Amino acid sequence: MFDFLIQGFDVALSPLNLGLAFLGAVLGTLFGALPGIGPINGIAILMPLAYTLGLPAESALILLAGVYTGAEYGGRMSSILLNVPGDAGAVMTALDGHPLAKKGLAGPALGLSAVSSFVGATIAIIGLTLFAPMLARIAVMFGPAEFFALMVFAFASMAVMMGKDPVKTGIAAVLGVLLAMVGVDSGTGVMRYTFGLVELYDGIDFVVMIIGLFAISEILLMLEHGVKTDTDEDMPAVGRVLVSLKEVMHCRWAMIRSGLIGFIVGVLPGTGASVAGAVSYTTEKRISDKDDTFGTGDMRGLAAPEAANNAAAAGSFVPMLTLGIPGSGTTAVLLGALMLYNITPGPMMFSERPEVAGGLIASLYVGNLILLALNLPLAGVFAKVLTIPRWVLVPGIAILAFVGVYQLHSDLMAIYLMLVIGVFGYGLRKLGFSLAPVILGYVLGGLMEDNLRRALSISGGDVGILWQSGISLGLWIAAVLLLVLPWLLPRLLSRRTPAHA
Amino acid sequence: MKLVADRILGIVLMGLAAFAAHQAWNLQVLFSYEPVGPKAFPLVLSGILALLALVLIVRPGKGGKWPDAGLWLRILGVLGVLVVYALLFSRLGFMVTTFMTVVVLARLFGAAVPKALIAGVVMAAGSYVLFTSGLGIALPAGSWLPELL
Repeated sequence: MFDFLIQGFDVALSPLNLGLAFLGAVLGTLFGALPGIGPINGIAILMPLAYTLGLPAESALILLAGVYTGAEYGGRMSSILLNVPGDAGAVMTALDGHPLAKKGLAGPALGLSAVSSFVGATIAIIGLTLFAPMLARIAVMFGPAEFFALMVFAFASMAVMMGKDPVKTGIAAVLGVLLAMVGVDSGTGVMRYTFGLVELYDGIDFVVMIIGLFAISEILLMLEHGVKTDTDEDMPAVGRVLVSLKEVMHCRWAMIRSGLIGFIVGVLPGTGASVAGAVSYTTEKRISDKDDTFGTGDMRGLAAPEAANNAAAAGSFVPMLTLGIPGSGTTAVLLGALMLYNITPGPMMFSERPEVAGGLIASLYVGNLILLALNLPLAGVFAKVLTIPRWVLVPGIAILAFVGVYQLHSDLMAIYLMLVIGVFGYGLRKLGFSLAPVILGYVLGGLMEDNLRRALSISGGDVGILWQSGISLGLWIAAVLLLVLPWLLPRLLSRRTPAHA
Repeated sequence: MKLVADRILGIVLMGLAAFAAHQAWNLQVLFSYEPVGPKAFPLVLSGILALLALVLIVRPGKGGKWPDAGLWLRILGVLGVLVVYALLFSRLGFMVTTFMTVVVLARLFGAAVPKALIAGVVMAAGSYVLFTSGLGIALPAGSWLPELL
């Protein structure tokens, strides 16, 4: 049953792939630590370079997955030290992490969060190893109708879980799907939304899309933080990054519980590290905050979201590898990266490309060990990147974005398109949208339409095929419940207990 | 104020939905082997978008904070720099344009002139070497170089 894992370790332990896992871990921790550059930005910037280097698919994926998991480790640093989350997954980490640093416990806080990251990620990687092959075996039975229903479910769960405003999440996703429609229609050869521009015939290039959407809009957003650096207050001294066994044991249940929560949230399509961090923190607060110490520098309040966001990162690989449905914005980008290699992730990947699926999973084990080894002793060194001023950071991002897009086709039109998409992304963010649903919609949109058309071709146009099988009917019901329950439950509850309303 | 922004956005999105639907409706499909064709999916999407936009108009949410005039100028400045960077990228070559871009961007993000100049030289030369010899990416050297050599 675990043949794929043994083969995977063969792949992951080759010198090249070990080196790439290490490089990914280092770069990921750096990207995660830098405020504003999260895992998606890091991967967006690195992906074209990995492609240019001519790396085989599994090696490129190992590098990029290393960046992803590394960024979840790195995101905690600016949360703890500066009270500025390094990425979306580390928002809750600041709540108890920063008070700890203010008490002069920055070192132990960094150490403890590295250990909890490790525990959370380990739980989730084991979960991934156990469940992914099982789910893949079920998913083999999926036809186009089931996949279509699954994507509807993915969008529903995304709308409910991601962001504060389901309507805006929905709009962002629809805009993403519409952007995926640009270009020649594979079924009929008809040009859609190309406006006669030859450059758009092949659709909007994935690299152009993510670099514009994330890197360029981030540059514009960074202007707001102004000339001043992020450090309104002085960065507390890190000191020795040491965490005692007693402190770790004190938090063990918080870590394990949050690791499990993070894994489950990560597996749900469309929800990633930020949701996991929030859910685990509130759960842990409810369970163990007896003395009302959460928010004032409770170690468990730090361990919980850190374990959860790392677990969610690993968990979001489950739907991506087995169903081809990304579990988070970042895995959507990774999915796009795989598609550049003409690999469509899905249930067949475990049997047809075991070196990719197994190699990736094995490299997560390896990368997790590397990350713990890097982050315990070297947290102080990584924390130094927080002092990099914006006037170095921004030109650096600009250069990487330009070269990354230019080297695709040596084409300036792609660069203009990237800038336009960047302004679009900036506008969306200013209007209170998050960008992850846009990219999920963009990646899933084409697949969704393909599956819908294939299903209706099979049935000769009868729409009933979409909910004929038990699996697809179940997914439809689950999707509707997801959309209706958050609205319905409070009303039902308040009717039952009007005294509390 | 924020509510107004969301209402305007809703109206714009309505327009976008109508435009997308109109474009899809007018697609000339010469042949199709399947019952759905290329029109249906974009049409359904436009419908969903219009519906969500309507919800936004009726129940606007919280928008972000909008930049003030000074910030707008700097945003336009950064965009201008990036557009000029793209315009001159292959004409003047990677090194020269990158140097200029880094200097101006660094200034816009608050670096002093000497620091910006040093950053420009180091980043332009460093990234050129890294990309061309390190990663084997062909970058434009600029059309003026051969004339000088």
